Amino acid sequence: MSAALSVCGLHRAFPGTDAPALDSLDLRIGPGRCVAVLGPSGSGKTTALRLIAGLDAPDRGDVIIDGRSVLALPPERRGLAMVSQRPLLFPYLSVLDNVAFAARMNGAPRRTARRSAQRYLDLVQLTSSARRRPATLSGGQAQRVALARALAAEPAVLLLDEPFSALDPVLRADMHRLLAEVRAVLEPTILLVTHDQDEAATVADSIAVLMNGHLLQHDAPARLYARPASLAVSRFLGGLNEIPGHLVDGVHHSALGPLALAPGATILNGPAVLLVRQESVVLVSADEPRVDAVGRVARSAPRGARQLVQITTAAGIIHAEPAAGQAPAVGASVGLLLPVQARTAVATPAPVLRICAQGNGRTETSPEPRWAGSGPDRTSTSGSS
Amino acid sequence: MTARTPRGRAWARLSQSVLSVWLVLPLVPLTLWVIARTWPYPAVLPTSWGWTGLHAAYTDGVVPALTTSLVLAAATAALAVPAGAMAAHALAVDPPPGARAIALLLLAPAFVPPLVVVMGLNIALLRLRVPPLAGIVVVLMVTAIPYTTFVMRAAYAGYDRAIEGEARILGATPRDVLLRVRIRMLARPLAASVFLAFLVGWSDYVITLLVGGGEVVSAPLLVASAASGAGNEALVAALSALAVVPPLLLFVVVTTMSRTAPSRGTTPTPPQELLPPHLAPVSVSV
Repeated sequence: MSAALSVCGLHRAFPGTDAPALDSLDLRIGPGRCVAVLGPSGSGKTTALRLIAGLDAPDRGDVIIDGRSVLALPPERRGLAMVSQRPLLFPYLSVLDNVAFAARMNGAPRRTARRSAQRYLDLVQLTSSARRRPATLSGGQAQRVALARALAAEPAVLLLDEPFSALDPVLRADMHRLLAEVRAVLEPTILLVTHDQDEAATVADSIAVLMNGHLLQHDAPARLYARPASLAVSRFLGGLNEIPGHLVDGVHHSALGPLALAPGATILNGPAVLLVRQESVVLVSADEPRVDAVGRVARSAPRGARQLVQITTAAGIIHAEPAAGQAPAVGASVGLLLPVQARTAVATPAPVLRICAQGNGRTETSPEPRWAGSGPDRTSTSGSS
Repeated sequence: MTARTPRGRAWARLSQSVLSVWLVLPLVPLTLWVIARTWPYPAVLPTSWGWTGLHAAYTDGVVPALTTSLVLAAATAALAVPAGAMAAHALAVDPPPGARAIALLLLAPAFVPPLVVVMGLNIALLRLRVPPLAGIVVVLMVTAIPYTTFVMRAAYAGYDRAIEGEARILGATPRDVLLRVRIRMLARPLAASVFLAFLVGWSDYVITLLVGGGEVVSAPLLVASAASGAGNEALVAALSALAVVPPLLLFVVVTTMSRTAPSRGTTPTPPQELLPPHLAPVSVSV
């Protein structure tokens, strides 16, 4: 159930549209790893999944599973399984027979298929629901059955198309825990598509940010937040602070003065935007000698358990997100600490990620990524260098 | 949805009762005539009882007539349902250019009076030397296709094809998808189509008379022939009662199938307004 998946230069344009739905997507997932493709609606996530699954044909590019191209194979012979946003259970079959469906399609006798299916039902903790009809299940239960059905197919790669987005937050958290348990037991290779960055960060080993059909960055969740490769990625991940300036030898110069970047966050000298996550900005007294900037609180608004504070500084508005009880009053003068480890900078235009070499009309997976940077495994990369 | 008040429930029960009486009442004299030997006017009930009507029906050839009707109806359903389903799939899933015009063309036989349809086709069938029984089936199929097409088109319009993609990824071949997914998912509208096409074939009179040229005697022809004479009430009642049995049995089968098919909300059911008016009361509940 653990195979490597490579997607090389996958391109799909639909007739009557100006821009391609997917523009030369390159992505690699190591065996047993879980990668989340994160992007807003219409970014090409589901298109990518459908192309990989064989439900749609790409204009060009390749899908390689364990070193073998599966592009010419029909969906039923690619060795994949998919769980969609809707469970898509067969309403005329019992829960057990739904889970046994793949085995039956592979020619297994009914009794053998059911015995095998029961194991996967046990895994998703629905042992007692085997004889029930899908119509009698709750949304969460139905999605568990869909997951069991996909796992029972023993796929080389498990494709998850926003599988938990229709569930309420409590059920979603349950499903995340369940998926973690399943990963611990079966170690499946998983490609998850989602627009929920929290879900991506919770479930996946690495996250690939897809926007307008382009892959903008593929990195470990923590690194993605700390070192976004472009303004678009930073903004999509909720980053609010952008300070324009110039980068010279690892030091960003702006209206705030020179601010050294963290090692590894360095880009080439030139125009660059300094990014600091609002969660990392520390508010102190304006008299504090070691402050990186001073300013006045312009607005303050609650944001869950925290408070989003807008501070007017020499470089424009900077946001901070202190705990609700620790937020300064509107109009107060404050000092801002921008921790070095939280500072990163991006140049525009952002670098384009390519991991597959093109040659003689044939797409091949390059053995190593062509850009520098470290990630959670050798397939994860940073586009920031 | 608001809950019904006790008064509303009482009204609903009363309406159902009145409707049931309205539907069942005409069948009472029919049933009585089947088992009546003599029923002179102005007696309220038959004055003597017996199986005269059934004996006369047997002697007049009700068995071959019913067999012929069964063959015609089954053949009509066997041909019109797949044809209608395929046409509906093409119209609903991947509409060709001019889909509206094609849909209207398919519906045309339902608009045009049967006599007009059959007169045109009758001449063509005679020139082509098509055997009468085959000719009747062909014309009945043309008559039934509009109904099966539009029932299935409505069904496809509400059919989520994503489940077929899911089945493919789980290992189902296109053939498996057709047999183990699509047909199962569309069991209710398919059953409704079968029932409709069967009724078109079973209840036809004009087409069988004109295309069959008297060589093919179906149950409606036998009933009409008996009804045109005087003093045949027992015979007509017996023939009519026997003619009701096969559609009724099919109705039971279809209803049973529908119970095992996906529940409402997961599979589209044909809208009632698409059913032919004379068939609506018996076919809408499948």
